[in-house]
Amino acid sequence: MTGTDTKYTENELVEMLKARQQQAFSYLYDNYSGALYAVVLSIVPDRELANDVLQEVFIKIWRQIDLYDACKGRLFTWMLNIARNASIDMVRSKGFNNSQQNRELTEAVYETAGSTSTNINKIGLRKLVYQLKEDYRVLVELAYFQGYTQEEISKLMNIPLGTVKTRMRAALIQLRDIIKS
Amino acid sequence: MDIKAYIQSGIIESYVLGLASAEEAAELETLCMQHAEIKQAVEDFEALIEKNMAAGSIKPPAELKQQVLDALDDEFEAPKTLVIPPAPATQSDGISGAKVLEIGKPGIWRGVAAAAIILLVASAGLNVYYYKGYKSASDSYQALLDKQATLEAYQARYNSLQQTINIFQDSAMHVVKMGGVKKEEPNDVATIYWDTRTKDVYLFVNNLPQAPAGKQYQLWAIVDGKPVDAGVIGDCDGVCKMKNIPRAEMFAVTLEKAGGNPTPTLNQMYVAGKI
Repeated sequence: MTGTDTKYTENELVEMLKARQQQAFSYLYDNYSGALYAVVLSIVPDRELANDVLQEVFIKIWRQIDLYDACKGRLFTWMLNIARNASIDMVRSKGFNNSQQNRELTEAVYETAGSTSTNINKIGLRKLVYQLKEDYRVLVELAYFQGYTQEEISKLMNIPLGTVKTRMRAALIQLRDIIKS
Repeated sequence: MDIKAYIQSGIIESYVLGLASAEEAAELETLCMQHAEIKQAVEDFEALIEKNMAAGSIKPPAELKQQVLDALDDEFEAPKTLVIPPAPATQSDGISGAKVLEIGKPGIWRGVAAAAIILLVASAGLNVYYYKGYKSASDSYQALLDKQATLEAYQARYNSLQQTINIFQDSAMHVVKMGGVKKEEPNDVATIYWDTRTKDVYLFVNNLPQAPAGKQYQLWAIVDGKPVDAGVIGDCDGVCKMKNIPRAEMFAVTLEKAGGNPTPTLNQMYVAGKI
């Protein structure tokens, strides 16, 4: 199989994927698995589990490609959200967060476990989130990496929902500026 | 509407990162179609995120790709084009190159596949529905069976107690009280109810130590000075029916190996009573 020297536009790639071409899938994997693996690892520090999640993510992308709507955004954004959701589901199903509410949030948020784990604070978006100011960081951690809704965060941290919304927006603006710089 | 303020509100970042609520996302998608600036802002942030994440790539283990390909093996479409070499004898000057033949019409198959999937989903739905119905009926049935088993157990116990009472009340029964003969167990008592009409022997254990594992009590009728096996005492509830004994001068109970012995172990005699 060729493929490594070929370059497809996003539209071409999506069309080929919809036509169920293995070659397209292989290209997709080669070009995006690294970025998506980093996304998964930023949420699922355990390497074994992260590998399972990454497989699941690519299988989902393949099977749901018909649901991808180019009008709504880039292919990567769509895949990124699949990877994030699958990772959060895995973490939740493993009960990592069972006693979340009983622990210091910031402790739980930055916990890593075991020797096969990755130091998640050095990966991808998380590295940048780490640079946010404390109030913001906790919010983004809970919402983006742990999948809590703003309502849940409001209850969890005992902050009014309006404040959570305002702070979250401000946090994301600051995050964008950090990424740009 | 203040487009600039909207773009600066953080909603775009929130949308791209999947943190916007359904209403927020719907509103943004509508605005996106109306305002090129908003669309541009979304695209810019998406590109920014993609670039940033591509830069932070981590290579997954090499074998993972093959595992994914294997998992999806039968979902890939066979290559759609088939190359047919030119027929050698058709024209003398020869046509170079190959003809490319399209095989199959994906449109039709997509329709068929969609229909098949819809049918499959519908059938799966029905399966779930029927299974639930079946499950609830099956659970109720099981509960009834359990109740019936309990009732039957009570019935059996009632019958055996009724039989015991009948024997106790029967005036034609010859009652032989067997007292403890073992030094260590002077309070042991068992009672023989001997039917004077049929010569059937019933035994009621008033007080005997629990037989140890692998042992059973055995009843003996002493006939002309010789012990005659009258049966072992099993798991009977209340009165135990023993063997029919036409005549005897004495009854005794010994502890023997499970299933009984042909002759009694005399030093294991627990109770005995003369007629």
